[in-house]
Amino acid sequence: MNYVVTTHTLSKNYGRIKAVDELSLAIPEKSIFGLLGPNGSGKTTTLGMLLDVINPSSGTYSWFGNQSNKQNRKKIGSILETPAFYPYLSAVDNLKIIAEIKAIGYEPINEVLKMTGLYERQHSTYRTFSLGMKQRLAISAAMLCDPSVMILDEPTNGLDPTGIAEIRELIRTIARQGKTIILASHLLDEVQKVCTHYAVLKKGRLLYTGPVNNEAGNEHRVELEAGDPEKLYALLEAFPEKTGLERSGNRVIITISGHAEISGLSSYVYQHGLVPTHLVVLQKSLENQFLDILNESK
Amino acid sequence: MRGLVKIEWLKIRTNATFWVLVGLHVGIVLLVVLSGKIFIRTLSINGESLKEMADISNIPIYHFPDIWHNITYVAGFLKFILAIYVIISITNEITYDTLRQNIMNGMSRADFIASKLALVILLSAGSALFVFFTGLIVGIGNTPDLALHDIIKYSGFNAAYFLQLTAYLVFALFIGILIKRTGLAMGLMFLYTLIIEPVLALRITTDTVKGLLPMKAINNLIHMPFGKYLLREVQDFVTFREILIVILYTVLFIYLVYLLLQKRDLK
Repeated sequence: MNYVVTTHTLSKNYGRIKAVDELSLAIPEKSIFGLLGPNGSGKTTTLGMLLDVINPSSGTYSWFGNQSNKQNRKKIGSILETPAFYPYLSAVDNLKIIAEIKAIGYEPINEVLKMTGLYERQHSTYRTFSLGMKQRLAISAAMLCDPSVMILDEPTNGLDPTGIAEIRELIRTIARQGKTIILASHLLDEVQKVCTHYAVLKKGRLLYTGPVNNEAGNEHRVELEAGDPEKLYALLEAFPEKTGLERSGNRVIITISGHAEISGLSSYVYQHGLVPTHLVVLQKSLENQFLDILNESK
Repeated sequence: MRGLVKIEWLKIRTNATFWVLVGLHVGIVLLVVLSGKIFIRTLSINGESLKEMADISNIPIYHFPDIWHNITYVAGFLKFILAIYVIISITNEITYDTLRQNIMNGMSRADFIASKLALVILLSAGSALFVFFTGLIVGIGNTPDLALHDIIKYSGFNAAYFLQLTAYLVFALFIGILIKRTGLAMGLMFLYTLIIEPVLALRITTDTVKGLLPMKAINNLIHMPFGKYLLREVQDFVTFREILIVILYTVLFIYLVYLLLQKRDLK
């Protein structure tokens, strides 16, 4: 697998406080990578170091397999914490400055403004914008250079539900174009909804990193209902790949090992004379996972 | 480099603060230069003892070659207006987080400093050209016997004015980067220029050492010219030593700005 960025024992100390502690991370190409952690866990500091605005205390990182330099950053679209623009300049002038810094033409400006719905307000000064518009302008700016990597730090902060949904849709759209997105968030639900990979940070330390869908580990939990709960329970008791069984009202929840097929389970029930009227794979939610990971670390 | 100048131009092009302060600088320079006549009339009324030395009403302050020295000296007092803009420009970049965003977007810290130096040069060169043309027009309008020789003589003070302004604006840039907050930075700039250094200067007795203080060195490029009308000897040209001290200070301030920014975490 190719990685867009790798870090090696990257650390940042503020006096005695270790904001980021020997972080070694590899972010796969074309992934939507969620950086999760409670407030103050070092997410923004980590991204700040990757973007060369915070000097690491020790450790190294590398973009696209070569060292950090400004040419790399020209290919990255990024937002850190709050949107940062010149309040007295119009939206379009703010974007022109970014285009100049990234040494690209002005042609993409109209396109990104249309994409985020700010085209009609392009000549208004930034200070007249609402928070949602500011956030959308930040995303326009991040998309301006058609970047191969986008770094978004809390991109839905302060947005209303419609705004949040729009931004998430935008992130998925961008991801479908084959871009890598690094998304820092303290909202688990947000990461679960959009990310393909994630990492959990706590007090600057990496607790876990891996893909989002396999995160449930080596087990599936399946909820079944098939007429007679007693009979179903007895039947499932004998299922070869069962690792756990529990009742839940008229339904039975079975835990089976990860390599077992769900279809195998349903045909097993059918072949033994019961027709499942309800069969749901319970996904272990990222929230449970996250809390588990945090608890394990204690 | 052209890109960096373009970036700085985009930042100031529609910025009202920039145009107001530049307008103020231009307006006040014109006002002060043109009120020289009134100043002389006041002198001739109040300075009874001066009358015995010279015919005050005929003092050739607007004549070539004197005008170059006079106008650059007077304009030198108004450099603080442009310094205010430099401080606002740099501290705003810090408070709006746009300095950080510029770096994230692909500038190096050295690029950013270079773009601010471009602003300094633009302001200094703009003001120096304005002062030069004002001097030229006023001189042509007032000198009775125009001679090319007289026009060229002392015109080197324009270059000294440019250097003086550049050095002072680089000092303002340094204060802005160091202090980060607009109001505090301006306060410190004035406190240092008007109080701290003059008090320090009082405790130094030798003029040579005094001339090593940064503000003193910058202001020393163009001495007070009016003594010559009292038959005192004043400078005809700026010495190499005076120029060297100011250039060294300018380089030092740029280096300090670079060090500060390189080491700083832009949070």
